[in-house]
Amino acid sequence: MKFTKFDIYFGLLLAAASIIVPLLNPGEATIQLLTLAAIWAIFAVGFDFVFGSLGMVSFGHATFLGVGGYAVALATQKYGLPFYGGAVMAIAVGAAFALLFSFFALRVSGIFFALVTLALSQLIFILADSKLRGFTGGSDGISGVERPSFMGIDFYDPVAYYWFVLGVYALVMLVVISLRSSPFGRVIAAIRDNETRADQLGFNINRYKQITFVISGALSGLAGALLASLLMYMNPQMLHWTTSGDVIIMTLLGGSGTLWGATVGVIVFEFLKEWLSSWTEYWYGVLGVVFILVTIFFPRGIVGELEKAFATYQKNRRGGVQ
Amino acid sequence: MLLFLLAAGLTLIFGMLGVINFAHGAIYMLGAYVSFETGRRTGSFLMGALVATLVTAVVGAVVEKLTLRPLYDRPHFYQLILTFGLILVLGDAVRFFWGPGYQEVPIPQLWSGTVDMLGSTIPIYRLFVIGFGAFISIGLYLLLEKSTFGMLVRAASSDAEMVRILGLPVGTVRMAVFAIGCGLSGLAGAIAAPLFPIELGMATNTIIDCFIVVILGGLGNIRGAIAASMLIGMVRALGYVYMPGWVDIMTFVLLIGTLLTRPQGLFHRATRTA
Repeated sequence: MKFTKFDIYFGLLLAAASIIVPLLNPGEATIQLLTLAAIWAIFAVGFDFVFGSLGMVSFGHATFLGVGGYAVALATQKYGLPFYGGAVMAIAVGAAFALLFSFFALRVSGIFFALVTLALSQLIFILADSKLRGFTGGSDGISGVERPSFMGIDFYDPVAYYWFVLGVYALVMLVVISLRSSPFGRVIAAIRDNETRADQLGFNINRYKQITFVISGALSGLAGALLASLLMYMNPQMLHWTTSGDVIIMTLLGGSGTLWGATVGVIVFEFLKEWLSSWTEYWYGVLGVVFILVTIFFPRGIVGELEKAFATYQKNRRGGVQ
Repeated sequence: MLLFLLAAGLTLIFGMLGVINFAHGAIYMLGAYVSFETGRRTGSFLMGALVATLVTAVVGAVVEKLTLRPLYDRPHFYQLILTFGLILVLGDAVRFFWGPGYQEVPIPQLWSGTVDMLGSTIPIYRLFVIGFGAFISIGLYLLLEKSTFGMLVRAASSDAEMVRILGLPVGTVRMAVFAIGCGLSGLAGAIAAPLFPIELGMATNTIIDCFIVVILGGLGNIRGAIAASMLIGMVRALGYVYMPGWVDIMTFVLLIGTLLTRPQGLFHRATRTA
């Protein structure tokens, strides 16, 4: 995909905000929320790599997030690995599960793809929740997931951990941007726009889909590791299919397929949730209504609509000069 | 049979409208709660079932009209995702009215006993559920295959544009189908109410079972849904006898096996010959 002026401006704006806000010393709860948003943003960006770039709806991404969380929790607690070892494990396990899913799910397309990924992820949920209780702690979960250490900085300090997560998020965005603008990214976009044509041009579509899915799984696994570490707790709820639903809502809210959409969606979702839940305990239902309205009236999402408005503005300005 | 009642509504909606209704489980839950409330006020189970069916059908009609209608021309996944939003709304609406706790509905007096059959004791209520499911499945079959309304529905699903050109109300037909599908689900909720505790988790747990049946039977294939719900029922029953604890896993293995070998559903060929 080509990056427009809009993408660059918007990115700069986001970067500025993410750096300035914590410097204003806003209190621990806000920092916690920002960190949470940054982690979910990694997850959503990873998800949107399949959803927006490839145009396939996966209802199984909760699994990759969840197994990432378990990987880091188990690796650090049972096998004595350091956090970074656990995080690498989480990425590898997320990718491995995505590869496993792709063998089943890529045999079907469209709505069946969504259903197969849903069924598989629910299977994993049941396994973790009851069958592998000895290994995963069942529905009690695993508590005391550790945080990383880096050159003596204490990441149990919320602000320090926020900077760490923000750094990881920036790295992830770099990877995603370079992937999307690479020849690989162009093939992916071609498959989304016209699968038959991409096939006829001689691209091995299934292979490309598989690779995209695996990358997406790896990013989700990383997000899972960070999330478990932020909450210092891991339980099967992260694997439940409603988590996959949440990430879809976030991505659509922000605008799927756009560069910053997933991130903005997460930020809006998390802050709406925080704000609504201080008003009413039925915030989830209200959020559902907001989401339904967005789906009907603004299918491009927040960033998508802004992008359109920006393009019209630019066109008008140019038109005026000539 | 309960699974069938549920899956029938889901597969009906998919087959005729091309919409995967994620909120089907939520409608089922709503049906259970409404029947609980009506039953508590009037003391009549039948009244509860009737009101639950009507209320969920009306909810379905309203939902179709307000939210799905603008989306038919968009890719399928918008509808899928929209109905996910509905789960959140319906779930919190139910929590608002009835709170987060468990509720229970007594088994109706009329069918509260047990009978001995083939050496085992079976509650009459379960027999009633089976009989009622059979009755509904026959009724649904007749409605879709033999009546004028059914003809219209099938025509609208295969070529909506043509039906519209012929001057027939496609929108209303779709609304009716969605309402019937939701009504069936609500009815299933009412019938399930005496068997299981009523709780909020019903919405998200049930839908997975429904999907399994619908995929196994082939999306949109009502006869397939009947066969698949029986198959799942048998697998579960046998599973509980021989390997309790592995039942869920077995169900999913069956599902994944089916998707790998016959993604169109186990009973695909049966529809072709029909």
